[in-house]
Amino acid sequence: METLGFLMDGFAVALTPYNLMFALFGAFVGTLIGCLPGLGPANGVAILIPLAFTLGLPPETAMILLTSVYAGAMYGGRISSILLNIPGDEPAMMTCLDGYPMAQKGRAADALAVSAIASFAGGLIGTIGLIMLAPVLAKFALTFGPAEYFALFLLAFATLGGITGKNPVKTVVAAALGIMISTVGIDISTGTQRYTFGVLELYEGIDFILAIVGLFAISELLFFVESRMGRGRDKMNVGKLTLTMKELVMTIPTQLRGGILGFISGVLPGAGASLGSFISYTLEKQVVGKKGKFGEGDIRGVVAPEAGNNGASSGALVPMLTLGVPGSGTTAVLLAMLISLNITPGPLMFTQNADIVWGVIAALLIGNVLLLVLNIPLVGFFVKLLSVPPMYLLPIVTMVAFVGIYSISHSTFDLYFMVAFGVAGYFLRKLEIPLVPIILGLLLGPEMEKNLGHALVLSDGDWSVLWESPLAMGLWIVAGLGLILPYLVGPLLRRRMNAAMKENPVSD
Amino acid sequence: MTGLGDRILGLGLLVLAVAYGWAAQQWPEPFGGAETVGPETFPTILAVVLAAGSLYLMVKPDPDAQWPLGKSAFELVVALVVLVVYALLLEPLGFVIATTLAVGTLSWRMGAAPKPAFITGLLSAVVVFVLFNYGLSLSLPAGLLEVH
Repeated sequence: METLGFLMDGFAVALTPYNLMFALFGAFVGTLIGCLPGLGPANGVAILIPLAFTLGLPPETAMILLTSVYAGAMYGGRISSILLNIPGDEPAMMTCLDGYPMAQKGRAADALAVSAIASFAGGLIGTIGLIMLAPVLAKFALTFGPAEYFALFLLAFATLGGITGKNPVKTVVAAALGIMISTVGIDISTGTQRYTFGVLELYEGIDFILAIVGLFAISELLFFVESRMGRGRDKMNVGKLTLTMKELVMTIPTQLRGGILGFISGVLPGAGASLGSFISYTLEKQVVGKKGKFGEGDIRGVVAPEAGNNGASSGALVPMLTLGVPGSGTTAVLLAMLISLNITPGPLMFTQNADIVWGVIAALLIGNVLLLVLNIPLVGFFVKLLSVPPMYLLPIVTMVAFVGIYSISHSTFDLYFMVAFGVAGYFLRKLEIPLVPIILGLLLGPEMEKNLGHALVLSDGDWSVLWESPLAMGLWIVAGLGLILPYLVGPLLRRRMNAAMKENPVSD
Repeated sequence: MTGLGDRILGLGLLVLAVAYGWAAQQWPEPFGGAETVGPETFPTILAVVLAAGSLYLMVKPDPDAQWPLGKSAFELVVALVVLVVYALLLEPLGFVIATTLAVGTLSWRMGAAPKPAFITGLLSAVVVFVLFNYGLSLSLPAGLLEVH
């Protein structure tokens, strides 16, 4: 009941006209980001951070804006899956399987409408799960000591590659690089200058916002330049809406199953939205059995992965809000916003910044309603935007990134730094070094070092304290499994996912 | 030899790890005497982890990626030069002119015809400039267009 009271307070925050306006704006921009070619959710949220920062938005408004963008991007990803058979982002991959065949049969409008409804149901279920689970987890997390936190951070890095990740060693290397970058600057506990080489700009450390924008936005531009995919796509015809009430009612159990499964895989470390939509789709196929026409445009094949992926995106907020440990790239970028607003993420946030946490959660609920309302009538508009050629779009996005970074500090030094990060990001992506652990390392590095220090001071220099308590031990074991499992299970799962894609006769 | 990219990367990272770890040992002892966790403890751990990872990459590299050659490589260098020059000229030329040139050149090199490319650049520059300077009252450099 206590939770309900907090949620009401959250609604009071989120429903002020000012915040509501930003939620609407965020939902709209998020859908755009999700459906535009070459702008993933993590990328889009990253570009908006400096803008939210320079606008001087109050913390709760800034967070509401970015969470709405996040939720919106998950909605937007499905549009190009259905119409073009090209997933807007990775979790939208499974939506292609039945979404595209539906579009080919001239039922694109139906697929878009039903997937918007499924996204809404998934998002709603996920948010309800978040409301129920987050306070409990936050209370539990209050019992964590520094040693447990240290182990938890390791767990976050170990599982970030995900079950489907390719080479765990590259995840480790990326995480180490990110944490190393975060050690540049004056050491907080002793005041020693580390790796500053006497350069004044480095004394305060490297601003992670410009690193994030550089790594994501600039490297994306370079990738597009290289692949020369500048041309736009042909205009799409959506057709008329023929969806019947009966069909919609038929999909309700699918929506529930997909949303719940998605939420669970969103909360679990290392699973994420891609696995959420994959599991939802596979389970749906099993449940429906031979009666379904999966792969040939079965409506439930569109509903299941969409509900799953949106449930997962709300689920992924649970570890980010309660533990301060994000489980995905986009939630890592949201964490960056929190840190730069001077809010310490973690269980204490639920007591110290209750208005922000519950404001964000309420905004997520409102955002889902807004998104549903936006997505059904405006789908034609978003579809038109799909044909905007990247050759115009990406230079403008790059320019916006420049403006954002420049307006934080009014220093061109930061711009060169951002370009340098972009070039580094390009090479790292070419070498298949994942960028998300780097970002997470940048963000969590200082906290990790602080907790290591505290733990060792408390134990008088005895290193075994780091794995002595049963909880810490458990976290170490899961972290170890997170690194080893991808070796054993990863190839199998990836083969299944590919097989599911190939079974589909229309992959042209 | 296959996996050359990863081997070179591994070598580079190993050099980085050694340099990083070595630098950490050079710092003077902090004021108040050494503790169990000094400023060098954490970087030393990181250096070891990175060194181990880089050795693994050199021993068991992944297959190579497709690296751009010829024209694509040239276009990448052009894009990069545009970005650096954009940062360089942003303040002296002012936002509108620098942006028109940068966005225009990038669009053009990505395959747009020159005229629409530079018109896109000009339009986006003016819109963002007006929005920031008048709408959000964040000042972007006016440069040459400044009215004295």
